[in-house]
This record gives sequence, structure tokens and C-alpha cells, in this order.
Amino acid sequence: MTTAPLSADLFDYVTAPGTVCRHCGDPCAPGARDARTTAAGTFCCGGCASVFALIEEHGLTAFYTCDVQPGRSQRAGGARDPQRFAAFDDPRVTARFVVRRGDRAEVTLPVPAMHCASCLWLLEQLWRFLPGVLRSDANLMRHTVTVVFRPEAVTLRAIAEQLAALGYEPVIDQEPGERTPLSRRHLYLRIGVAGFAFGNVMLFSVPRYLNRAPLDPQFQTLFGWLNILFALPVLAFSARPYFTAALAAARARAITLDVPIALGLSVLFGRSLVEVVTRSGEGFFDSFAGLVFFLLVGKLFQEKAFEGVSFDRTVRSFLPLSVRTIRDGATTLTPIQDLRPGDDVVLRPGEVIPADAMLIDEAGAVDLAFVTGEEAPVAITRGDYLQAGGRVAGHAIRLAIVRPVSTSRLAELWSHPVFSTPKPHRLTALLASFGRWFTIGALGLAAAGAALWWPDARKAAEVATAVLIIACPCALTLAAPIALGTAMGVLGRAGLFLKTPETALDLSRIHEVVFDKTGTLSLGSAVSNVVSQGFDDTEWRLIRHLAAESVHPISRAMAAGLSGTARVEGVTETAGHGIAGTVDGRRVRIGSAAFHGAIDLETTELTTFASVDGGPARPVQVRPAERPGIARAVAALGRGREVSLLSGDRESAALVSTWSSVFGARMQFGQSPSDKLDAIRQRQRDGRRVAMVGDGLNDAAALAAADVGIAVSDDTACLVPACDAIVRGDRLTALPAFLDYAARGRRVIALAFTISLAYNAVGLWLALAGRLTPLATAVLMPVSSLTIVALSAGLMRVRTDRLFA
Amino acid sequence: MSVIILLIAAGALVAFAFLAAFVWAVRAGQFDDTETPPLRILLDAPHSKDVVND
Repeated sequence: MTTAPLSADLFDYVTAPGTVCRHCGDPCAPGARDARTTAAGTFCCGGCASVFALIEEHGLTAFYTCDVQPGRSQRAGGARDPQRFAAFDDPRVTARFVVRRGDRAEVTLPVPAMHCASCLWLLEQLWRFLPGVLRSDANLMRHTVTVVFRPEAVTLRAIAEQLAALGYEPVIDQEPGERTPLSRRHLYLRIGVAGFAFGNVMLFSVPRYLNRAPLDPQFQTLFGWLNILFALPVLAFSARPYFTAALAAARARAITLDVPIALGLSVLFGRSLVEVVTRSGEGFFDSFAGLVFFLLVGKLFQEKAFEGVSFDRTVRSFLPLSVRTIRDGATTLTPIQDLRPGDDVVLRPGEVIPADAMLIDEAGAVDLAFVTGEEAPVAITRGDYLQAGGRVAGHAIRLAIVRPVSTSRLAELWSHPVFSTPKPHRLTALLASFGRWFTIGALGLAAAGAALWWPDARKAAEVATAVLIIACPCALTLAAPIALGTAMGVLGRAGLFLKTPETALDLSRIHEVVFDKTGTLSLGSAVSNVVSQGFDDTEWRLIRHLAAESVHPISRAMAAGLSGTARVEGVTETAGHGIAGTVDGRRVRIGSAAFHGAIDLETTELTTFASVDGGPARPVQVRPAERPGIARAVAALGRGREVSLLSGDRESAALVSTWSSVFGARMQFGQSPSDKLDAIRQRQRDGRRVAMVGDGLNDAAALAAADVGIAVSDDTACLVPACDAIVRGDRLTALPAFLDYAARGRRVIALAFTISLAYNAVGLWLALAGRLTPLATAVLMPVSSLTIVALSAGLMRVRTDRLFA
Repeated sequence: MSVIILLIAAGALVAFAFLAAFVWAVRAGQFDDTETPPLRILLDAPHSKDVVND
């Protein structure tokens, strides 16, 4: 090994040791709950400590010198199934992901946790951890890592597990990752060719502009033909997307903004060609090449904004790749596509039911949060019909598959028409009507101009073509993509990821913001405030270990973040009442007041009681922790808009009292997914544009039906339903600022449209007067395009600090 | 006249050479990722086993 590990001392300069996690930088005092202190420092959780140990063992602590606390907290990942990558042992599954090149294999895995130079460095050291790995290339822009390995020496499963062990949990999509998008390369080539032609055509056009009199006819002819030569590839290659789009629009009998562009470009090229061939002029080839060049650069701008913000996942990436099936007494892994009705499958806790199935075991529990929206797991007994999408809770269960994967209820929900019909974006509608208006106007004006000059047929043709050329709405097409593309990038950095730039415009025109379930607004069960009184630390630890055995939400909140082990024996759980058992030799009971035989204690939905060694039962309260600042954010959203809550939770006094201060009377509880969908539809029928803020698959239909569906996510690797935008949980409070920024986008576009129309008016006046010279076009077109680009990009970038506050 | 034709030919030749270089660069993936390589160059450790073996 040639590299000596760098000193890791930098860490000590940056932060005093012991106050933050050595790996991820999260605050953690030594002795805090779950904190570990080792010779190397303090860690916030066992996960971070083991990642650090792994990195240290390989002499790679230089990881911590590249960036300030580059690690990501492992606290949330404590309960991951160690068998989750078992599907990668199956050649039928790996064949879909791995590309073979001779004796080498290559795989590209999405790694959302990657975020800085240190991540890049560590991920590219993968060959030090695994003998069979030859090289790994991380791509920070697309958050992927491409691993080249020798398939006989190391398996895909080992690679995935190694990445996960380092804290970079790969996301397993049903579809394999792509190393490079080919469409982007094509766009670069188109821009390159257009730019090349633009420069060279300029070279042959400028002499004419600088010379007051027409050039020597010999030169004029030579330059004209050279210009045609350079402009041809622009027409045939660079501008082709505009012609195909216009043709498609024409075939669909719709007029989009592509139609006047294609029209303008063809007229520009045609007239220039005629002028050169008939030796009547020098043509507009410089304007033509420049126009295509600017249009394509605008398109690149727009596409760049998509970078690293791709989150479009389908229902399949949420389902497992393969499941354990029992055939002839032996357990094998079967890819979910190959599951047949009647198959006998075993699912472990945390695994998702891949297809509608029936329970074979005596009893079990399923968490149906994704299907029905209910938080508490549901107890099931033999013969119960289970919908796909439920998550197994409690212990492993055996199921008989009833329907194949593709026809399961979840897949049906996904193929619901609201998902398949693309949402009519405000911008698309706006541009469509504008395109129609613009095309008709331009054609009308061209005809009028021709009529004006009619007896002179030559002049009439000149004027008509000049009108069509100058009316080409290039600046208009640049304004919206650049303004919204910039907005998408800025919002993405601020924590709101948009699916498409058009969403920014939709976001600016919202009448009502509907929050789905209180879970969106609180921090979730993993970080509830658990208040207990009267237990010492040892007793509290025992109680939490017992709680870890239960799937009840209160127990889950109590056990969240628990580390260490304890001997738990003789557990008996009485559904709906409580759980009892022996932990490290001491008797522990958790449950309702009645469970403790004490009827005089006051019980609410969020209170339970615990006792140790038959001692007095003491209350344990669980309060969903409200996201800090959410009340202020909701109030700010309410200015000029309405805000309401549609929750799937059962109505309870505790919930109402918590949220009535925030939402007042605009709350509805006990809403099923279809209730939510209907509620959104009803508001839309009343002519209101609705933004829905939700977090689960269960409200996916409502999210998709809303004008803007915003998913809240605390986990970069989380699965994402059909939504238009994702907001980071900790940035939810910035939502009002995001909406205001989106409104700014609309104003900038309006301003750009006005200016662009002013330029067009000047050009049209020249055209109708028959005075549109190539020089005037060559000046007017780039100047108007550049003004629009500078204006839309600049105004969307200034004073954006408030978004990040 | 003949001089300027020579000049144009030479100029076009150079221009085409640059266009060819650009096309090669795009096809070779030089523009695929513009964020990672500038960071990678600052890192000392080799990211491939081949580099170490050589």
C-alpha cells in the first residue's frame, strides 16, 4: 500500500471531542442515551461507532480530514435487516444489474447518502475493503457509484453489504442504474455543432456588415455558399428536436410553442437559401445558427437543473427484489416476478408483502401504514387476506400468495388513472394557448404585410418571411425554462426537490395547502418525547428492552434508538392491554392501567404504565414531538392561502388539543386514502388549486391528484410515492418562503415575456416596413435572447438567502 | 482572392479539428460528470487496484 493514512487531527481543531459524534457530527454528550465512548472518541450511536471502526481498521481515517464530519448518522438504520441484500445471491436478479465485460463485471448503484469530497474518497477506496473489487467510480452529481469487480472473487451482495457497512446504504431499484445518460451527450453535440457553425458563419457575415457597400460579387457568392455549408448540419442535426416536436404537435392537432419556432427556423433557412442561390442577398445564416445555439443552451440550462434531483420511483422499487419461498421443504429465494398463486413465502419483520396473500401461520401482525394510513400495526390470524404493501411487524410470518405481483391491490392503486395521466402543468397550458395565439398572430401579420406590399410580389414575399422570422418566439421559449430551471436548482439546494421545473410555476398559484396526517408535522415515532417519572436508569433500560419486543406504537416510541442487549425471557403480550416478561432476571410489565390491576389511574391514548419487580405502576407518556417552528410556518402559509389538515389518524382529544392551536377548525380526522382523494377532487371542482403535503404511499392517490403533491422525507434513501416535489423534513418550516420564491418565478417570467414582446414589436415594425436587414436581425435576435437569459437567471438567483435560513 | 481562399481553407481546417476534438470529448464522456473529477484530483489515494499494482 502506497498511501500512508493522513493525520486525523483536524477533527480536534474543528470541534472539541466529546460534544459531537466523531463520525457524523451530530451533537452527543458522553453518557447520553445510546452514545458510545471508545478510545477514538464519542459516537452518537452504535452504527456510527462501527462505521468508524471499519474505516480505522483499514487505515482510512483520512476520510475525516477531507470534510468536516463527513459521516452520516447511522441512528435511524439500527434495525435494518441483515438479510436485505440476500436477493443479490441469486444470479437471476444480479444478471439484471451487472454488465459483463470479459472477465470483469460492472455495476452502478444509487447511493443517496453520498454528499461530499470525503464520501467520494472513501467510496473510491472500496477496493481496499473487498479483494475482488478492481475500481469504483463515484459520481457526486448523480449520487451513484460504479463498481468494477471480478465476479468470481466477490459477489454483488458482498459489495452492497460493504457499502452499507460504510454507511452508504445503496438503494435497490428494480431497474438497474445507468452509468451515463446518452441524451445529455447528444445535447452537448448539438450545442457544439451549432456553436461551431455560429462562429464560422459570423466570420463570413461580418465583412458584409462592416462594408457599407455590397461586397465584391465573387466574395458574396463564395461566402454565401460557405454559410450554407456550415448551416446545413445545424438544420439537420442541431435543430432537429424542434422540428420533430413541431411535427408531433401538428400530428396531435395542437399548436405548441415549438410550432412557431420550427416555422421561424424553416423560413429563416429557406429565405436565406433562396437569397444566396438567386444572388439577391447574403441571407440570415448567422441569425439562424445563433438562434439554434441559444435555444439549445437554454435547454441545457433546463436539463442541468434536473441533475441529482431525479427521484422518480415506481411502486416496484418499494417491493423487495425477491422473497424466501418454501418449495418441497427447502427455502429458496424467488424473484417477485416469478411468484405464482399458491407459493408459500416467509417474510421477516420489516419486509413488505409483495403480493396479495393469505396468512398460513396462527397469528402475526402487519403494519398497514402504506395501504390504509393507519399507524398502529394490525393483528392478523390464520386465513386473513393480506394486501400487498403491508409491512410485517412482530415476528416472521408464512403466507400463501393469492394473486401474482402485477395484479395486487397495491399495483392497482398505482395504476389508478391519476398516476397514468400526466398532470396538466400550468406552464404547459399557458404555453399551449400562447403558442396558438402567437402562431395565428404571426401568420396573420405576415399575410397583412404581404397584402400591404402586394403589387410588388418580391417585396411582399420579403416582408412576409421577415415577419415570420422576427416573430420566432425564441426569447419567450428561453424565459420560462431558464427562470424555472434556476428556481428548481435553488430550491433543490434549499431542501425542496421538484420533479420538473414546471412544478415551480404550479407552486406559485396555490389556493390551499392541505397537510396529510399529523405525522407530517411531527417528528415521527422514532423521536417522540417519551416522558417517564420515577424509574432509575437501570429500570428504564429494562423497560425499554421489554418494549422492544412489542409492535405497539407506544412501545416502539419507547424502544426507539435502544442499543445494547439484554436477556428477555417469558414474554407474554395481551393484545390491547400490555406486555410482560423477565428482563435480565427482573420482572417487567408495561400496559394499560387495567393491565396493572389499578383502575384508579387515568389512562389516555398516549399514556401507558410500567412497573418493575411488582413495584408501583408509573405512567409513561408519549407525545409526538411537533416539528420546531411548524406553527409559525402554518401561520405564514395561511397568509393569502388556506391551510387545512386531512388526517388518517383516529380522532382523539390529545390530537385535537395539539393541533387545534395550529389549524383551528380546519381539521378532519379518520380520513381514508379515498376520502383524501375525494376531498382534493372536491376542492378542485370548486376551482381551487391545492397543494397536498403528505408522507406515505397511502395518500399517494391524493398526492398525485393535487395540483402539487409534496412528499415530506427525513431519509434520503426513503421510497417516494408519485409526488411532484419532495421536501426535507427539517426544511418543512421553510415552505412559506419556497412558495413566495415560486411566486417570484412567475413575476420574472411575466417580465421576461413583456420585454421579449417589446423586442418583437420593434422587429415586426422593421419587418412590416420592409427594412429588416440581415444586420438588424443579427443584432436584434441575440440581444433579445441574451437579455432574457440574463434577466431570468439573474433575478431568480439574487437574494435567495432567506430560503436557506 | 487566392490568398483569402487559402486562409479560409486553413481556418476551416483548424475549426474542424477543434470540432472533432469536441465530438471526441463528448463521446469519451468528458462532459458526463463535471463535479466529481475536480474533487478527485485533490485526493491522493488511488481509486483503482490497477494503479497500485503497476
